[in-house]
Amino acid sequence: MKRPSRTSIVHWFFVLFAVTLVARAAKVQVVEGKQWSARATRQHFFASSLAAPRGEILDASGNTLVESREMTRVAVALPEVRDTAFVIKALHRARVDADALHSAIARRRRWIDLPGVYSTADVASISKLNGIHLTPVLQRVYANSTGIKRIIGSVDGQGNPLDGLELALDTLLRGDSGKVRLARDRDGRALDSPDGWTDHPKQGATVVLTINHALQDICERELAIAVDSLRADGGDVVVMNPHTGEILAMASNRVGRSAFANTAVTEPFEPGSTLKPFVAASLLERGRARPTDVVNTHNGQLELDGRVINDMHKATALSLADVIRYSSNVGIVEFGQRLTPRQKYETFRDLGFGMPLGVPLPAESGGTLRDPRQWSKQSSASILMGYEIAVTPLQLVTAYAAIANGGELLEPHLVKEVRSANGKTIYRAEPRVVRRVMSFDVARTVQQMLLAVVQEGTATKADLATFDVAGKSGTARRTSQNIGYTAGNYTASFVGLFPGNDPQYVVLVKLDSPKGGHYAGGDIAAPVTQIVLRAALAARDAALNREDLAASEKQATTQSPKGDASITNKLALRTANEGPRTNPESYDPNGNISRRDVADAPKPYVVDLPAAPRPAPIAVTPRPVPDVRGLSVREAVRALHNAGFRVRLLTAASSGTSPAAGTIAAPGTIVQLVRPLE
Amino acid sequence: MAKSGVALRGRSLVGLILAAFVLIATAIVWRRTIGINQSEQLAALDAKRVNLESERARLDAEIRDASSRQNLGTAVERRLRMHVPTDKQVVILPRVRPDEAP
Repeated sequence: MKRPSRTSIVHWFFVLFAVTLVARAAKVQVVEGKQWSARATRQHFFASSLAAPRGEILDASGNTLVESREMTRVAVALPEVRDTAFVIKALHRARVDADALHSAIARRRRWIDLPGVYSTADVASISKLNGIHLTPVLQRVYANSTGIKRIIGSVDGQGNPLDGLELALDTLLRGDSGKVRLARDRDGRALDSPDGWTDHPKQGATVVLTINHALQDICERELAIAVDSLRADGGDVVVMNPHTGEILAMASNRVGRSAFANTAVTEPFEPGSTLKPFVAASLLERGRARPTDVVNTHNGQLELDGRVINDMHKATALSLADVIRYSSNVGIVEFGQRLTPRQKYETFRDLGFGMPLGVPLPAESGGTLRDPRQWSKQSSASILMGYEIAVTPLQLVTAYAAIANGGELLEPHLVKEVRSANGKTIYRAEPRVVRRVMSFDVARTVQQMLLAVVQEGTATKADLATFDVAGKSGTARRTSQNIGYTAGNYTASFVGLFPGNDPQYVVLVKLDSPKGGHYAGGDIAAPVTQIVLRAALAARDAALNREDLAASEKQATTQSPKGDASITNKLALRTANEGPRTNPESYDPNGNISRRDVADAPKPYVVDLPAAPRPAPIAVTPRPVPDVRGLSVREAVRALHNAGFRVRLLTAASSGTSPAAGTIAAPGTIVQLVRPLE
Repeated sequence: MAKSGVALRGRSLVGLILAAFVLIATAIVWRRTIGINQSEQLAALDAKRVNLESERARLDAEIRDASSRQNLGTAVERRLRMHVPTDKQVVILPRVRPDEAP
């Protein structure tokens, strides 16, 4: 056999090498192709989650109360850092708080999340340094108002809701997160790739509240001034539209406590005399009394079941209307004996006391209303005077709204509308009647009684010169923990209906434990109500229908002299022991409230306008947002203005309006006009 | 002569194929380089957009706070000695209906 030549051996060696190479290539490409391809894809591409921006929360006029913005969180991987001193200097230059880095280096930690969040521009200079890792985070930007924050709540650093509406409406607000497939460059940095894909995040829904920001500001400011001036422990102000159940403002204040809870729905209190109108309504509704019926009020002192009930305004006899007007405890107890305990209980239960109202706020309290089987001997009289029952400010306002709207108990609501990310309305609150709690006639009769309280009774300091105000004051003793009722510790409250003859607002002002000589609701809570109402009248947009308001103005000819002296004079006709009001001075928050005298009565205004009157009245009913597609920006703005809307211009990838064309919105609503990027 | 010409054509063909390969490879690399550059520019622009949106939100919030009643009310009362008008000082003008207009 011929031995192969050396050339042949080399030749066959190369052939074998080539075959092996081809075989290996075939194995890699064909047999293991999918596996290697997947590995390469894992190396070159990665999926990153895209956080969905939480939905905005707007006030009733469309003003933003809270929105999300993207910020950056900075972390340092110490093993990746080549020059620690240089990195620390760079962090200082970028105004990043690097103090935590020093302690991390000392403790030899490998990874440190630096505190705080920074704008992308601030940290752009350090983004390419080795060992610096930037993570985008969504931060909530809140309106700088304590009351609004109490309602809205907050989220933690990871975007998880903690309290308030953020927690209650989280499923609506949080949206759906998305994903993006990015390529890596040679340094491992992310790159958009044509081979990538994006599953866009869906922004959370926009929630429109019934809160009117201007009115909320007014309430918070006046409440803060009152709490400070009166050295009270705190207070609450709630304003509601009695015809829709919309909560227009809800302010709370607690001194020395960084409370974030909305105490207007979480802290019940004994309402005192503010419950008397409901007893009167129950008596009238059941035909057990008429407004003119008179009872013996025992000269303002009655001994019953082992205790003495006193009146501030002492009289020998009072009619039911006067019992409400002068807030007679003896009178209401005498009248209340015409009702059985079960009837008293049902009266308050039907008004919604003793159970949560269902507003979307966490920790809402239902208050306390005990079953008559649990009552003591004194409970039957106590509950008539607003003791042994606890209600939240919101419950009390909701019950008064029933008097204001003709007898229907409405479900209070805080959310007016919910819009999806594309502007489509997915929920709109409608007034919902829970039940009729009194007839229309009884409601009107009680309303007249409440008008008398402000005109000639215990709350004259709530009255306005040009509008009637109806309402009822309350002064209730407060308990201290484990002690019971303590001297000089009171809750002063006033619930007002404005205007008194055709209410647009139900306003509750409550002040906890005011210090000093003034503690009666009519003396300190009623003036705060007056200030709130005057500021609301002067505000540009405080959820008042001014056309209806103009019709409710007092006529100068119907004005009558009022004041504390008139109360005493009237009482003097009926009483043997004349008892003037013990507290003639009142809280004067702005130093410009003076008692009205006869000469100060308002005069009719005659205004000559040089301009021609408008050719047509502007309709105030909600109307659809016009379709402005295809119009220039100028034409679109004009069309929206002509339709009665306010316009905010935005620039984005796609054009349109928010709310979308065709959406029914109230005049004055801010419509976001999105014009396309050029 | 003919044999030499065929051999030359073969080498030319290989050369042409190699040149085409280099050209195509260069074009692919160039296109990918352009794509990556544009991607980086897009990412930078997107970051800028996000930053501007974030800045807008912050400025909006500052404007809201600065123009809030709590800020302005205190300032105008202290500096300008203004006060909330009494209800008597607020005049509500009734709307004139077209048929009532002079």
